[in-house]
Amino acid sequence: MKHSLCLVAIFAWLALFCAPASGAVSGDGKTAYAANTAAEPAMAQMPDPTDESAYDDDDDYDYDDEPFGEERVTISDPLEPVNRIAHVFNDRMYFWVLKPAAVAYKAVAPEPVRISVKNLYSHLGYPARFLSCLLQTDFTGAAEETGRFVINTLWGIGGLMDPAAGENINLEKQDTDLGETLGVYGVGHGFYIVWPVFGPSSPRDSASFIDSHLLYPTSYFCPWYVSTALTALEYVNSASLRIGEYESLVGAAIDPYVAMRNAYVQYRMKSVQARQARSLLFKEETAGPPEVKEAEDEN
Amino acid sequence: MKKRLTRISLIFFLVAAFHPCALAGGMFGPPQTISRIAGGLNTSIGYRYHTDTYKNHYHHKMKQNVIYSQVAWGMSGIWEVYGRLGFADMRMPDMFLYGPSVVDNYEKDFRDTWHFMGTAGAKVFYPVNRFFGLGAFIQGSFNPGKYTDETILHDNGSPILAKLKIKNMWDINFGGGLQFTLPYDIRTYAGPFVYFARADARMSHNIPGLPFGTEKTFLKNKSPGGGYFGADIPLIRGFRLNIEGQYTSRFSAGAAISYVY
Repeated sequence: MKHSLCLVAIFAWLALFCAPASGAVSGDGKTAYAANTAAEPAMAQMPDPTDESAYDDDDDYDYDDEPFGEERVTISDPLEPVNRIAHVFNDRMYFWVLKPAAVAYKAVAPEPVRISVKNLYSHLGYPARFLSCLLQTDFTGAAEETGRFVINTLWGIGGLMDPAAGENINLEKQDTDLGETLGVYGVGHGFYIVWPVFGPSSPRDSASFIDSHLLYPTSYFCPWYVSTALTALEYVNSASLRIGEYESLVGAAIDPYVAMRNAYVQYRMKSVQARQARSLLFKEETAGPPEVKEAEDEN
Repeated sequence: MKKRLTRISLIFFLVAAFHPCALAGGMFGPPQTISRIAGGLNTSIGYRYHTDTYKNHYHHKMKQNVIYSQVAWGMSGIWEVYGRLGFADMRMPDMFLYGPSVVDNYEKDFRDTWHFMGTAGAKVFYPVNRFFGLGAFIQGSFNPGKYTDETILHDNGSPILAKLKIKNMWDINFGGGLQFTLPYDIRTYAGPFVYFARADARMSHNIPGLPFGTEKTFLKNKSPGGGYFGADIPLIRGFRLNIEGQYTSRFSAGAAISYVY
């Protein structure tokens, strides 16, 4: 009953806020995401690269401003004040709770052990990844995931090791979720949300809570505190293998909140594009007809 | 790091070899480790059909299906330690036929379902040349499960429900082997081994004529040793197939698929 209510609530939210990315694939084959930049103070202060009057340079350069620049992706952020509070909360949680716990854990658990624990948790995520691959019509990915699961269960000591990712077998993990599945079908991000504890997300990507809970075996451990402890161990273990990454990101940023938001949106966009390229239904649209591209190049 | 690994391996070996309730049989594998020369893991899953003859006052045939998963660490192509976890069922045909007759329509065989078991072992190898080498191993297993079955026997004309428990099954094996490496890294091997296998048996009632009673009775292996032979064949993508036969008083055989990290 509780699960059904959650599902209904999340789908209602998605229907309300995640406008289907109308014209999501533009003529050049790139995805055009919602570009509400009004709520980005840091980016609003920068001159618009398309506005020539913003530059007083006398030289008439005849080259592309950013020939190797990445596609500029933004996301609307109407909840920015609340999100900033949640961001600060998560930041404090990281530095005051998670990082000390991860450092202590790192001191007692050697790296091979921590990698094995990470592998095991990743192994348990097979049902969610498999279902997402199926829903994305990425049947090759679903088969690879199943192959990985079988091999790692039998020869990976129940998932503690990852022989399937070795150079001999080379079956890549299909790191995907329900949020990306919705993205593959053209559902837009909606707006930016920072969930306390869980971090950056959007209404669309919050759908991943469904598969990460319903299809994750540790969610069903009883009593509840066992399940919670296992989740906490997963967070601490994961953080112990990535100490310093978050510090680098926020340390180099003028506004860590904006840096996190941009990094998150970029990462998710690239993930969705990668998933679309693997989807039987959408890979043609993502790639675009080659003859048209050639014609455009000639012009 | 190397020193630490050596220490861990030594402790593992000593625990495996001398733990009082440790260890019993299974496949021995090729004398030479299949792990990388620089050192590394190999893991296996295997199945073995094990038959043997145990004795106390009578000889009892025993048949087991064993499935297991193995983790091994080997180095330099000369040594390896390994551990296995698995499950084994048990069947002892005509176990209840001794002494008083079994009431009609009741089972004469002793049989029970899968129980947990563990195995540990170590092996060393001396390569004489590229194609030939000598090896030695020690391997033991322990099955902590209580195998239980019951039947109804005639006791002075009246039927009685008799329950037999077999527990604390363990064995320890020592052996040597010769290994011949054929083209395509196919390793064939054979050798002799000695073994000690023990189990405790206890019956729920003292019934005249039966070789078991309410007092604990020891079952032990009839034959002190035997021989084994097998082949380890490379498959694709780092996998290998190991097939092996063993003969003591009866014939056992098994197969395992290994992955070399």
